Amino acid sequence: MSRLYVYAVVGGTVRRRLGRGLSGELIRLVRCGTVRAAVGDMDAAPAVTPTNLRAHDAIIRRLAKKANALLPARFGSLVDDDGALQDALAPRATELGQALALVEGCEQMTLRVYGGARLPEKAAADDVPPGLGPGARYLAARLRARRVPEIEPLRRALGGLVRAERAERHGTRPLIASVYHLVPRGRTRAYRAAISRTRADLGNVRVRASGPWAPYAFAPERLA
Amino acid sequence: MKRRRRRADSDLVEHADASLLDVVDHLLNKGVVVTGDVMLGLAGVDLVYLRLSALLCAADLIAPPRRPRR
Repeated sequence: MSRLYVYAVVGGTVRRRLGRGLSGELIRLVRCGTVRAAVGDMDAAPAVTPTNLRAHDAIIRRLAKKANALLPARFGSLVDDDGALQDALAPRATELGQALALVEGCEQMTLRVYGGARLPEKAAADDVPPGLGPGARYLAARLRARRVPEIEPLRRALGGLVRAERAERHGTRPLIASVYHLVPRGRTRAYRAAISRTRADLGNVRVRASGPWAPYAFAPERLA
Repeated sequence: MKRRRRRADSDLVEHADASLLDVVDHLLNKGVVVTGDVMLGLAGVDLVYLRLSALLCAADLIAPPRRPRR
């Protein structure tokens, strides 16, 4: 029995002829309250293979060129039918609409941050506002470390090129953090140039920039 | 020659399997979660994570961090 595979949530103007999906199916739009979803009819979720992942990303890239604003769905998102999709997304239309407004006209650049010394708690604590108790200072220092202060020189160099940022620290060295930047379309060359200019200012920390990507990291992940 | 080889090494990290890390992260770990359960086929999962683990090690082996000057 055919089900519905969800590729993305889209907003604003969407140019028609969305093309075909992973199984060769025609991709169409389903209205869910005030947002729309790009979907295809599929019997089962695609297997997780490098080939399928890359093919899915290629489809997302193509859809992103046809929509003013797009939020990719997670790979493997399968629902029973249009009604089930509307039940899932319509109640969250406000949240999704805000996320679509944020990413409108933008692409994502991804930074992988490697190496570097473990940010000592004392160093992080030195930047914590004074007047806090020891417990609050500890938590504030931990929060500061999660913001990936290692790339602060990059942030200064990027300046107005970044509309929004998401950051994650990792416990798996040599990869210490991932940082996702929302960059206006057409500005990714300037973004890469700023990265290249500033690499030498990072000490023993190395960064790898990739993109542009669709704004994967700026989609609301959980629809509670 | 040494600088050219180092640049080539960093390009290797940037353009080869490094892209699979990005694809795996973006597609499996990000994006709108439409339903509570994401149904994924299991074929190839081991391959994806094995290569991901190898990549995490490869980055440091290919371009080890500079040692501080004494």
